[in-house]
Amino acid sequence: MTRYVIRRLLYVILVILVITFISYVVFFLMPSGNPAVQFAGKSPTKALIHQIEKQFGLNHPWYVQYGIFVKHLFLGDQYGWPGFGESYNTREPVKNELFSRAWVTFQLAVGAAVVWLAMGIPIGIVSALRRRTLIDRASMGFALFGVSAPVFVLGLLSLWIFWQHLRILPGTGYTSFSSNPAEWFLQFLQPWVVLSLLFAAFYARMVRGNLLETMSEDYIRTARAKGLPERRVVFKHGLRASLTPVVTMFGMDFGLLLGGAIITETVFNLPGLGTYVVQAVNDQNLPAVVGVVVLAAFFVAFFNLVVDILYAYLDPRVRYS
Amino acid sequence: MSKKRYLGLGALVLVFALIAAACGGGGGGGGTSAQGNAGNVKKGGTFRVATEDFGFTGAFDPTDEYLGEAWGMYTNMLVRTLLTYKHTAGPAGNVLVPDLATSVPQPTDGGKTYTFHLKNGIKFGPPVNREITSKDILYAFQRIACKTCGAEYGFYYSVIKGLKPGAMPGDPGKIKIPGIETPDDKTIVFHLTQPTGDFLYRLAMPATGPIPQEVAHCFTKAGDYGRYVISSGPYMIAGSDKLNIKNGCSGMKPISGYQPSKELDFVRNPNYDPSTDSPDVRANYVDGVTITIDTNTKDIWNKVQQNALDGEISHIQPDTLAQYQSNPDLKKNLHINSGDRTWYITMNLTQPPFDDIHVRKAMNYVIDKQALRKAWGGPASGDIATHIMPPTMTGGHPTAAEYDPYKTPNDQGDVQKAMAEMKQSKYDTNHDGKCDASVCKRVLFLNRGDNPTWTNMEPTVVADAKKIGINLVPRELATSAAYTTLQTVNKNIPISLVPGWGKDYPDPYTFVYTLFHSSSILCQGNVNYSLVGLTPSQAKECGVKGDISNVPSADKELDKCEPLTGDQRTQCWVAADKFIMEDIVPWVPYLWSSVIQATSDAVTNFDFDQFSGTWAYSKIAVDPSKQQ
Repeated sequence: MTRYVIRRLLYVILVILVITFISYVVFFLMPSGNPAVQFAGKSPTKALIHQIEKQFGLNHPWYVQYGIFVKHLFLGDQYGWPGFGESYNTREPVKNELFSRAWVTFQLAVGAAVVWLAMGIPIGIVSALRRRTLIDRASMGFALFGVSAPVFVLGLLSLWIFWQHLRILPGTGYTSFSSNPAEWFLQFLQPWVVLSLLFAAFYARMVRGNLLETMSEDYIRTARAKGLPERRVVFKHGLRASLTPVVTMFGMDFGLLLGGAIITETVFNLPGLGTYVVQAVNDQNLPAVVGVVVLAAFFVAFFNLVVDILYAYLDPRVRYS
Repeated sequence: MSKKRYLGLGALVLVFALIAAACGGGGGGGGTSAQGNAGNVKKGGTFRVATEDFGFTGAFDPTDEYLGEAWGMYTNMLVRTLLTYKHTAGPAGNVLVPDLATSVPQPTDGGKTYTFHLKNGIKFGPPVNREITSKDILYAFQRIACKTCGAEYGFYYSVIKGLKPGAMPGDPGKIKIPGIETPDDKTIVFHLTQPTGDFLYRLAMPATGPIPQEVAHCFTKAGDYGRYVISSGPYMIAGSDKLNIKNGCSGMKPISGYQPSKELDFVRNPNYDPSTDSPDVRANYVDGVTITIDTNTKDIWNKVQQNALDGEISHIQPDTLAQYQSNPDLKKNLHINSGDRTWYITMNLTQPPFDDIHVRKAMNYVIDKQALRKAWGGPASGDIATHIMPPTMTGGHPTAAEYDPYKTPNDQGDVQKAMAEMKQSKYDTNHDGKCDASVCKRVLFLNRGDNPTWTNMEPTVVADAKKIGINLVPRELATSAAYTTLQTVNKNIPISLVPGWGKDYPDPYTFVYTLFHSSSILCQGNVNYSLVGLTPSQAKECGVKGDISNVPSADKELDKCEPLTGDQRTQCWVAADKFIMEDIVPWVPYLWSSVIQATSDAVTNFDFDQFSGTWAYSKIAVDPSKQQ
């Protein structure tokens, strides 16, 4: 198991290297001109552009810049480890910004995950157990709505109803838990629910499908024939088997979300990784873009690993050696 | 789980879904503007503003920063300069008044020497807390000269003897500038290499404000001082008093009130003495100003309407403008002022078919400027531009009505006149008024792709050009990428809708000289997009691919204006504008844009800072009881 984990961690590093390499290639091959020009004023002199290039490290060929980036990432830079460099437009260490924003995104992702699991799994179970009833149809109607309604529409709609008209929830923005826990909760409530709707709908459909299939298996019939209570048949034998693919999906989705929920963060003005990367792309701020790419890739790869390990516990047939 | 619970859960979900599905979006409208809010002006409260992104070009370091919004913050609140403006709207806001200096001096030595005496009692804010001297102003100029400091508009000061902007190595504090003397703590003398009619305007720019060396010597890389700016004005960055300057450079941590990706907060500077200033220049009603980042443009405008914000730094979208204009409750809070800015289509004089002046003139006739303005939101967005400089830059004249070399009915374009011009072009071989050369078949047309105003204008330009046989192929990029692409000469972009240009200070030099003099052509970062006056050596160095034999120059017309002063100077620039519009024709100017701002009901006094084109923070007053 330990060897397996080490091997997978090395794989995570490889993934990060490949993805950051692609980011560098795309950045330098895009027809975007020299980023130093953007930070040298409206009518810059040649000397000033050269000075800015030197300050940003853009005076080296792109592959040398990539080499320096990799070195700093693994060995640290003037701002410590891991070295993500300095933001072009704020001249601040990217690392500080990344970590403070990753924390906001983490809170958003965890809250949304709790909501979507709390909604999606029960709806899926109810829908599977009450197949072709009104509850099943209503649940699947909700699932269709959740999957098809874009997050930005739901977000703006939610703000319009609950903030602008009913005034029962605060508007957009971020309040830290330490400064005001109640405000923190109310501020996050809308983004949590809106973001979770899409996932909840998707998970409901998935759980329903899996559970329907599992409940028609022979061993379920055997369990029932043995006289086990229906609750035990469903939850101990049916649900456990049908949740395995859900765990896989959850790992992927959660890891992906930690890389930034761009639309939700933008609509609700949350200073997370999603809004940061949008700003960074618009500003041609390469260190910030690559920083978010590294974190996002790490989260996805890491949660994939976690899921694979969890598999061994959920499904006795799976063993890593 | 019981059946009842399942039903309850399902019902809850259904209710949420139905509520969400049933409630539609907001309304719209249309109308015009209003100026100022009535009400009692009282001191106190906080003026709360939001923006999508600070967008600072120099990380808020006054030596470097070249963003108008930042200049508004400096000049109203944070940085006092030898001279300043009254921080008000209209022509009065473009008049120089003394700030650190006791008076506006007259030049001596044939216009080459300026002597300033400093007022007593003006101190730096905490933690420096000492009186400002002429050496602090000299230090600002030493930073402009410093090689590593990155002064973005340092070129304005190359007229000072011995000052080479951004080119003098070493510790800025040790740089010798023979053209600046500080005979005592209250006197500073500038010696210029040549008479420069607009030099006083250049001394009202934020980079020339005093900088305390004891703090700034730690920050000599471009942008690094931005989080440590020590105030010389009525406000300071919140938390400045906590800046530890006693333990050397390593002990200094960034001032907490400025977090580059979150907010910028200003509070009153306890060392500011109002008797050294004038209420006409800075009234300083509010106790503080908070500028936060909100990535959602709609949300910013919604919050202003809900009194959850008091103002915005955000380009108004046409639908929001229409909403304001149609609703009297909102309309009273809308403020429209001249932006001293021209928006235009630029044509590259080296790239076919625009290397032919008849084609460029035909483009000026064929474009429907009314349609372009409609994409901006209609007449409230500004006046239709008919020449290079907004009339506000040249004493109010010539207006569009007074000078319109390519006049068309209702500014909607005139295909007949355009075709008549095209017939004279070498690219119209059969003289039918349409370009029939192969160079007109696929002409790259660079545009912004991340802003609906620009994408909405695009079809008009493409359709109008097609009327004279030019097939434009649009290529859209994000604004910053579009600018850097256009500014890279070897990209050889033939035509673009991307640019606009605003003044740096209220003198036409910052418009026509910077934009059309051959000396302003740079291989990278070029703003003379049309390459007016391009020389063969510049073409070779920058990798221009095209015919440069017919590239006209405006150097002679521009050079003769710079030493002049007063009305002679203004008339000279007006003549240069006409020469460029008729003999060179590098642009299709289409809009002299307004700055449109909205205030909340809590704002009891509004003013616009004409110099920086943004809020006159020092004149804004709020009523906290009306704030949400």
